Amino acid sequence: MRGKKVVAMILILLTTLLVIEGCWDKREINQLAFVQGLGIEKGEDGMIHLVVEILKPGLLASGGGPGGGTGGGSAVGKPYAVFQANGVDFAKAFANLNDELPRSLFMQYNEIIFLDEKFARSGIYQTLDFMTRNPEFRRTAYILVVTGGSIHELFNIPSSSTLERYPYKEVLGIISNQANTSSSYVCDLNEFIQTLEIPKKAPITGKLEIVKKDGKAVGVRLVGSAVFDNDKLIGFLEEQDTKAVTVLMNKLKRSTLTLDKGLKGEKAHISLVITKAKTEIKPVVEGDKISFNIKVNVEAYLNEQETKYDITEPEKLQQLEVIVSSKIKSAIERALNILQKKYNADVVGFVEILHRSKPKVWKKVVEDWENIYPDIKFNVTVKTHIRRSGLSSKPIHPR
Amino acid sequence: MARKLPDPQYIRDNYEYMYLTKDLKENTYIFNTLLAGNNDVVFRNIKIGRRKIPACLIYIDGLADKSLVAHNVLFPLMIETQKIDENPGTGDEFFERVRELFVTIGEVNVKDKIGDVMDDLLSGETVLLIDGIKKALILSTKGWEGRNISESTTESYVRGPKEAFVETLRINTSMLRRRIKHPDFVIEDMKIGKYSKTDVAIAYIKSIADDKVLQEVKKRLKKIQIDGIIDSGYIEEFIEDNPFSPFPQIAHSEKPDRIAAEILEGKVAIIVDGSPFVLTVPAVFAQFFQAGEDYYERYFLSSALRVLRIIAMITALLFPSIYIAETTFHQEMIPTQLAISIAAQREGVPFPALLEALFMEVTFEILREAGIRLPMQVGQAVSIVGGLVIGQAAVQAGLVSPVMVIVVAMTGIASFAIPAFNVAITFRLLRFIIMIAAGTLGFFGIIMVIMMVLAHMASLESFGVPYLSPITPCRSQELTDVFMRVPWWAKILRPRTIQRKNIIRQEDKRG
Repeated sequence: MRGKKVVAMILILLTTLLVIEGCWDKREINQLAFVQGLGIEKGEDGMIHLVVEILKPGLLASGGGPGGGTGGGSAVGKPYAVFQANGVDFAKAFANLNDELPRSLFMQYNEIIFLDEKFARSGIYQTLDFMTRNPEFRRTAYILVVTGGSIHELFNIPSSSTLERYPYKEVLGIISNQANTSSSYVCDLNEFIQTLEIPKKAPITGKLEIVKKDGKAVGVRLVGSAVFDNDKLIGFLEEQDTKAVTVLMNKLKRSTLTLDKGLKGEKAHISLVITKAKTEIKPVVEGDKISFNIKVNVEAYLNEQETKYDITEPEKLQQLEVIVSSKIKSAIERALNILQKKYNADVVGFVEILHRSKPKVWKKVVEDWENIYPDIKFNVTVKTHIRRSGLSSKPIHPR
Repeated sequence: MARKLPDPQYIRDNYEYMYLTKDLKENTYIFNTLLAGNNDVVFRNIKIGRRKIPACLIYIDGLADKSLVAHNVLFPLMIETQKIDENPGTGDEFFERVRELFVTIGEVNVKDKIGDVMDDLLSGETVLLIDGIKKALILSTKGWEGRNISESTTESYVRGPKEAFVETLRINTSMLRRRIKHPDFVIEDMKIGKYSKTDVAIAYIKSIADDKVLQEVKKRLKKIQIDGIIDSGYIEEFIEDNPFSPFPQIAHSEKPDRIAAEILEGKVAIIVDGSPFVLTVPAVFAQFFQAGEDYYERYFLSSALRVLRIIAMITALLFPSIYIAETTFHQEMIPTQLAISIAAQREGVPFPALLEALFMEVTFEILREAGIRLPMQVGQAVSIVGGLVIGQAAVQAGLVSPVMVIVVAMTGIASFAIPAFNVAITFRLLRFIIMIAAGTLGFFGIIMVIMMVLAHMASLESFGVPYLSPITPCRSQELTDVFMRVPWWAKILRPRTIQRKNIIRQEDKRG
């Protein structure tokens, strides 16, 4: 009898399930507009322009279309379409865009948020807030600041000049590939927001430059980084300085370093690959003065050289190590100087380090950090260890 | 002086309670009346010995072994008795002489109740009635034509014994007896079915099998009141714990080696005459994912295959549902490239993913069913047509997307990888329920149904043994024979879930 009741219960539950089914958030996969590439601009009128790259799955899967090979001139052949919607704020623009499209916007596949320089300078807090509240947006989406052209230009780079089939894919590939060169530092939405939440720490993210030829956008370069003060863009760092900052943030994975002088000061190129950089930062408080000891341990190997030294000799190797160390030290000091004096932005998060190891001191200085930070002294020591000299130990001697 | 013969109607109504009389004529009359109209019943009147004592031999043509009757019964009674010139005695004395000296048959019983004699006669024994004696000799001459022992068609092994049970009970019990040669191995007989009077045997090892389980089996079997048992499937439905559960709670097998192994673990086997499928109780869920071959092949391979089967089980149960849920509710869970290609394939498909999946799954089930029931030659034609329908035409006609074909094909193949057919059917049914839940509520629906199913499974019991044991309640020692199989030398104990009376399988540890 009990069994009968249970079966009846299950049947009733299942049938009600069929009747009351609303499927309210049901969306068939072919009714979605896959957004890959979300750009935000600020128009002349102060409106927010939302520019999106929406994929056309049919064209993508069928292998391109007529325009693919011939330079992407015709809009029909592109496997994506670019749409724009305006609004007083991001939320409004987003809603407007959704109204214009025959399919519902699907943001989950969008891994890059492109910020127009002008928009970034005006502050991005509100937009970020919307994105973090809405479950549709990926928290792991990268943030890039686009310079040298508009987002429309970026999204309309012809596929004839790129390796991938649409600009978004190209940029995504560049981002994952730049881990090998550390020419930029790209942070994602999550990290950006976390940085914003730390008092007085300044976010930094990648700078995407549109390369133009005869006034037409033909490609992109991901070099250098954009420095923010809170949520407002205040300036850019060059490639060298970006690398130095990544070293300080302990985020450097791999990078190349080129010396333009030989061991004896003669003009020659020696190229090294930095494989590891470990940085320890310790605050030193003496009375009212705060300073930081920065210790950097670098591991590298020799990549290419023009000189004729045999690096397998220990003395030569030591000499080289000293040269590399001083080069890295000066790069770090230069970057710190720019951040302190030019931007007054604590990108590395010294204030955070102070908070962790000397919370009492931090309490006293945190309110006034903007005034204290530019005058802080850093004692940088760099130690380099060259592990390998590539496959060959001795230089090739051309006859 | 002849007594007045009883009324035929009276005989038919009361024969079960009547006893044989001294009068041969009356006895044969009774059997004649009862079996009137049956051409296959042979009444052979003979005279025994020089004193020509009348006797009657009754047997069923086709059930009794004719040559056995001729050589071992008729010949000695009719010819050999002529040679012996001595007083054969009278009455019971003569009866004993016939039994002890003349009938050269192995098994001979004496019965005096007409009902009992009739039962034996109809199961193929030969009945010898002698004038002046109130008893009948039951000569065991069963010997009918049956199917030969052949290779199993439902459970085939690559390595391991090939023979399978047949429809004859005695041959089946002999196959078990041959594998377990110990006096403790007991095969108890009983008859079930008012008309069919089917022989049902319970086989177990006295010193291992759990007494409670055994008593319960007997109790439940005795409760069965039905006109006939044609297959062990009848018995299974009568004695299972929860008849409203879609899950089989009694295992069955066609292979004597597998049944013998289960008996050695302490289970009780129920063998039904006329069915090559032998039941074993108690059953646990895990055993439906074990093939007999697991124990014959080396344990590395067997363990890997078990993991593979669990993957196949999950695939068979959930794959279409996950596809539906992911394409209609949780698109973000699909890798971007795949999502784009699925979306591209679904362009132009008019139905929602749920309907599409249901359509394909039902088509597949119909094809499978058609293939099973049809003769081999036609079956092939069906599978060709079906392959075309599922594979190519449905896609080209725009009814379904190519991914759906892959999903259905994967599911179908995975469900064939489940060794036990009865559990595979359960999963086929559950798959549709989960698909509907997935199409209406997404992953939430899938999880909801799975939780309900799991709760139900955890509540099941088979003859006092929890259905999900040894997974839950967890017995770590026995888990070594669920998801993997430990080598034989490491299986020191018998599964404790089945019985606790005698759990030592190996006396000494190796080494």
